[in-house]
Order: sequence, then structure tokens, then C-alpha cells
Amino acid sequence: MLHLTDISLVLILLSVLMALGSSRIQELIRIMAFQGILVSLVPFLLERADRASSLDILFLLVFITIKAGVMPGLLWFASQKVAAKMELDPLIGYHASILTGLVLMLLATFISHNMQLASGDIHPLLLPAAFTTISSGLFLLIARRKALTQATGYLIMENGIYLAGSTLAQEAHTQFVVEFGILLDILVGVMVMGIIVHRISRSFDDADTMFLQELKG
Amino acid sequence: MLELVFIFTALAGIFTLFLPRTISRIVLIAAGLIHLGITGIICFKGVPALWPDYFQTTPEGNIVLLVTSFLYLMVAIYTVSYMAETEMHNEPVFSACLLLFLAAMSMACVTDHIIVLWIAIEATTLMSAPLIFLHRSKEALEATWKYVLICSVGIALALLGVFFTLMAINSGDSNTSMTFHNLLKTAKGVELTWLKAGFIFTLIGYGTKMGLAPMHTWLPDAHSEAPSPVSALLSGALLNCAFLGILKTHSLLVASGMQWYSSQLLSWFGLFSILIAAVFMIQQDNYKRLLAYSSIENMGVIAFGIGIGGLAAYGAMLHLIHHALLKSSLFLSSGNMLLGFGTKKIRETGRMPRYMPRTFASFISGFAGISGFPPFGIFLSELFIIFGTLQQQAYLQAGIFLLSLALVFAGAAKAVIRISFGNFTGEILVQEKWRMVIPIYTLMATSVLLTVYLPQDIHDAITLAVNSIGGLIHG
Repeated sequence: MLHLTDISLVLILLSVLMALGSSRIQELIRIMAFQGILVSLVPFLLERADRASSLDILFLLVFITIKAGVMPGLLWFASQKVAAKMELDPLIGYHASILTGLVLMLLATFISHNMQLASGDIHPLLLPAAFTTISSGLFLLIARRKALTQATGYLIMENGIYLAGSTLAQEAHTQFVVEFGILLDILVGVMVMGIIVHRISRSFDDADTMFLQELKG
Repeated sequence: MLELVFIFTALAGIFTLFLPRTISRIVLIAAGLIHLGITGIICFKGVPALWPDYFQTTPEGNIVLLVTSFLYLMVAIYTVSYMAETEMHNEPVFSACLLLFLAAMSMACVTDHIIVLWIAIEATTLMSAPLIFLHRSKEALEATWKYVLICSVGIALALLGVFFTLMAINSGDSNTSMTFHNLLKTAKGVELTWLKAGFIFTLIGYGTKMGLAPMHTWLPDAHSEAPSPVSALLSGALLNCAFLGILKTHSLLVASGMQWYSSQLLSWFGLFSILIAAVFMIQQDNYKRLLAYSSIENMGVIAFGIGIGGLAAYGAMLHLIHHALLKSSLFLSSGNMLLGFGTKKIRETGRMPRYMPRTFASFISGFAGISGFPPFGIFLSELFIIFGTLQQQAYLQAGIFLLSLALVFAGAAKAVIRISFGNFTGEILVQEKWRMVIPIYTLMATSVLLTVYLPQDIHDAITLAVNSIGGLIHG
């Protein structure tokens, strides 16, 4: 099972780099869906795979459906309404973004190396992957201008936090209720963001956050 | 059953979606009355929880719940008159979101579970976003987008902080529930690096929501673009709920002997917020933004007081109550002014005593209250905080605190005098009405009443809350 976890985590890192380098919004959403599947799988592979009950598998399926189906679907739906499907002149270019992603990966490895739990038996790749995903999501939020890309950045960050939280997955079944609550919140959040993106694109002809600079001081 | 307080409210909210206008307005007030009733029973009698693993009353939660519930009722009464005066798109959605917003805040107050608290606070963001977007102008759109994005990202960081905290305090026993109550018991032998990281992220995350500088940037936009009753609720109730998250995490650090760390962070973040607010208030030309910056200042005061601890922490809890009452009354007054003058610009208002005597009375006395004049409670709470700071011999902080309060007063006084006695040549669009000033007067009268006579139960609750972060006498 260790191999599968390794592969998933490496693929997550790869998807983060792809997200940083992609210019088309719809391509970005496809990457998000792919990442959603992997991120839901990791806690399952880490803690529950060898003693999975039917409840575990049911929750895994629900998580995959929401993370890889419903949330990207909502963004996809919002992207249909937006005129420009390309991020033409991002604040920080694509090559520079990928390079930043690599630097963030190094930093994440360094930080997680210094933050090992004395008692913990955390998978060695888990924290670097989580920190990279969180910081890259934040970076995407800052470096892009389109509202939809920023929403994806938020989702990537949220995926990273979910990964960091999966170290706690060995707790009892009551955990599921709580995890589900978090997921529900994020889902509604994406829905609200989708609605606002739609409104922005209707009011300003394009969902570009550079238009949103009226309120100051 | 404790959970009734938010389940009932949420159901009422969903129900209102399908009701016609007139009935939904009645439901807003009726739900507020019932909510206040349930809150009273919870706070003064005590109610067992149905799911004690997730929900438990705490003294600090009770205080915030009581404030929130009372505030909501007043705001609801005001809103019904306000809705009659302005044109509203999609009134059922507004009423539903208002009730769901109240439900999310109540949930944050009655939970003691570290992650459920996070869920509730994130839910407040989502439920209040449609309220800010009510007027559908481009500015409102901008404010809503900033609010949702900045707060969601901030609160996501708080979730990371929660995970770090849980990793630091790993009890190893997977059957105990992750309530603050249980965590406090095991908070002794912890991984300090993780706990520090957890507190930093929690402070930044919930601090974004609470409006601590420099994460406050969404707050003036959202508060000024939202309809005034919503601003009153955002400022008076929502910010306190986010503060609960910080306070409870702080109590974990105190229990693990890391008080020096979190106290320092809290007090400096608090001071920085007061200073930033003071700077922006001096040159402000929009009175709703002015009030919003004043909220940032007051949240800074609360964070500062909690960080100093002891007597100052008592003052901070008192400040929380009185700030909620006074600031919401000020925002409601600003609602009357916006209806009357038709503008938020300070230089386009004036001659209030002549055109709006009743709103003038509430606005000027609200200003006196928020600036710390007796007989309003902020006088007492700020005095406690200053005494507490001097008691700790933190003279540098006390100096900065007093200086920035003076700056805030200067900035606000300039604006308030201009609004009240400036030259106004236009016409008043909407005359003020008694039913739109009575809720404001009630809020302020409550503040005065609580200054003169603080019920024993509330005093005990504050003392208990302060005990969890080190008690009244320490250091």
C-alpha cells in the first residue's frame, strides 16, 4: 500500500505544477478534478485501506464525487458563462510560476524536515506535498487576475490543507461527521464564488478582478 | 436540548424562502424573540446537549450568544422598517440568509469542538455573503468578492492551524472527542513547535475574520457596502464569533505553559490594529467606512486586553459586550442617515439636529459611548484594560495604547462634528420614524444599564471565561 500512497502524493505534486503552468481555465478545472480524486484517496490509503469497512468506502466515494465531480463541475459551469477562457496576461508569467512552484517544493521539504513530530509516524512525503500544495494555491491566488483562476487557487489550497489534516485520519469514526462538515462548507463556498463570478462577468463583461478596484481608503 | 438554538433558526430560515413578503417579515421578528428565549434558558438555566461530543456551553460562548441574540432581535425590528423604506431585490433570500447567518453564529457560540467551531465560523462567511451583495451595485459586488475570497482563504489557514494544534496535542486516545475541554486536560505534554505554528495560523485565520490588521482589508469594504442592518450584525456579532476561536486557542496555549508566546502576539496584533484604524480614520470621507475602521480599532482593543491578561482580560470581555451594543446602534443610526441624506460621503451631510433630531441624538451619544465617555460601558472596559496594562508594568504598550486611542478620538470627532453641524443644503429624502430609532435607543440603554448594574450571572460568566486564560490575578 505504501507504493500507492507514494504514487498518489507524487502525482499530486505534479498536478500542482501543471496547475501553475496552465493558461486555459478549463484545463485548470480538469487538473482540479484529477487532484480531487488523489487527495480524497490519500487518507484512505494511509490509514484505512487494510481495514476498510463498507462505511469507509462509502465515505471515500462521497468525497471523490464531491471533490472531483461536483466542485469542478460548478466551476466548469461558471466558466461557460465567462467570455474569456484564457488568462492572457497573468501578473506573474507561467514559466516563472512553475519555477516558483519548484522553489516552494524545496522550501516545503525543508520546513517539514524541521517539523517532524517526535512521536508521530507520518508518511515522509505527506507533509512536503501538503505544504507545497497549500503554498502553491496561495501563490496562484496572488499571481492570477481572473476571478475563476483565483477560486481554483483557493480550492488547491484547501486540498493541501485536507492533505495536512489526513495525518489525523486514524481517529475514530466520529471524525467522518466532522470531515463531512468541512467538505460541505467548502462546497457551499465554491457555489457562492461561482455565483459571484457569474455576476462579475455580467456586470463588467469579463470576470477579471482588475475591474474591482473602486473601494479604497 | 442545546442544539435547538441553531437548528430551529436554520429551519426557520429555510422556511422563509417559501413565504410571501409580509409573513417573512413577521417570521424575522418572531424567530428573533424565540431565539432570545432559548438563549436565555441556555445561559441562565443551563440545558444539556443532545450530542455532548460536539456541543457544550462555555462561559465565553454564552456571553457572545447572549449578545448576538439580543442584537439580532433589535436588528430584525429595525430591518422590517428598513425594508419598507428601501427597494430590495429578492427579499425572501435576504430574510432566509439573515436567519441562516444567525444560525451559523449561534452554532459557533454553543460548540466546544475545535473543528465544529471552524465549520460554524466558515458557515457565517458563506451565509452573510448574499447579505452584503443585496444592493447589487458594482461596489457591492467588489465588496462581496473580496469578503468571500479573503475570509475563505483566511479561515482555510485557520483550519490548518486547527490541524497543527491537534497534531501538537495528540492524546493518542482516539475515542475522546476533540473538544477544547478535553484538549485542555492533555495540553501539558505537547509538541511546542507544532502548537506555536498552530496558534500563528489560527490567529491569522480567525484574525482575518475578526478584522485584526493587517488582515482587515475586506472589512471596511464589506461593512460600508452592506445594508446598514447587516453592517450592524457583521460588526456587533460576527466579529465576536471569530474572536471566540482565537480566545479558545489562546486558552490551550495558556494551559500548556506557552502563555508568553500567544499573549505577546495578541497584544501586538491588537495594538497594530488600533494604530492602523486610527491612521485611516483621520482622513476618512465615508461615514460607514469610518464606523468600520472603528470596529477594527475595537477588535484591536479586545485582542490587546486578552493578550495583556488579568484585569485587562476582564475589561476586554466587558468591551466585547459594550462594543457590540454601541457599534450596532451606530450602524443602525447610519442607516437612518443614509436613507435621509442619500449619500455616504461625510462632506455631503450636515445639520442633523434640525433635519433628524432623533437620529442625531442616537448618533452623537453612540459616538460618545464608543469613544469611552461615561455613562456608557466602554468607559469602564477601557479603564480596566489600562489599569491591567499598568499592573503588568507594560508601560510601552500602555503608552502606545493611549496614544492611538487619542488619535482615533481625534479622527472620529472631526468627522462626527462635520456630519452633525456641517452645512447641508439638500433635501432629506426619507424622514426618520420612531420605529427606526427605538431599536437604536434600546441598544444604547442596554449598554448604560449594564454599566450601572451588571447582573451576577454575567459577571460570573466573564470571570469564568477569564479564568481559562490565566485568571484575574496573575503576574
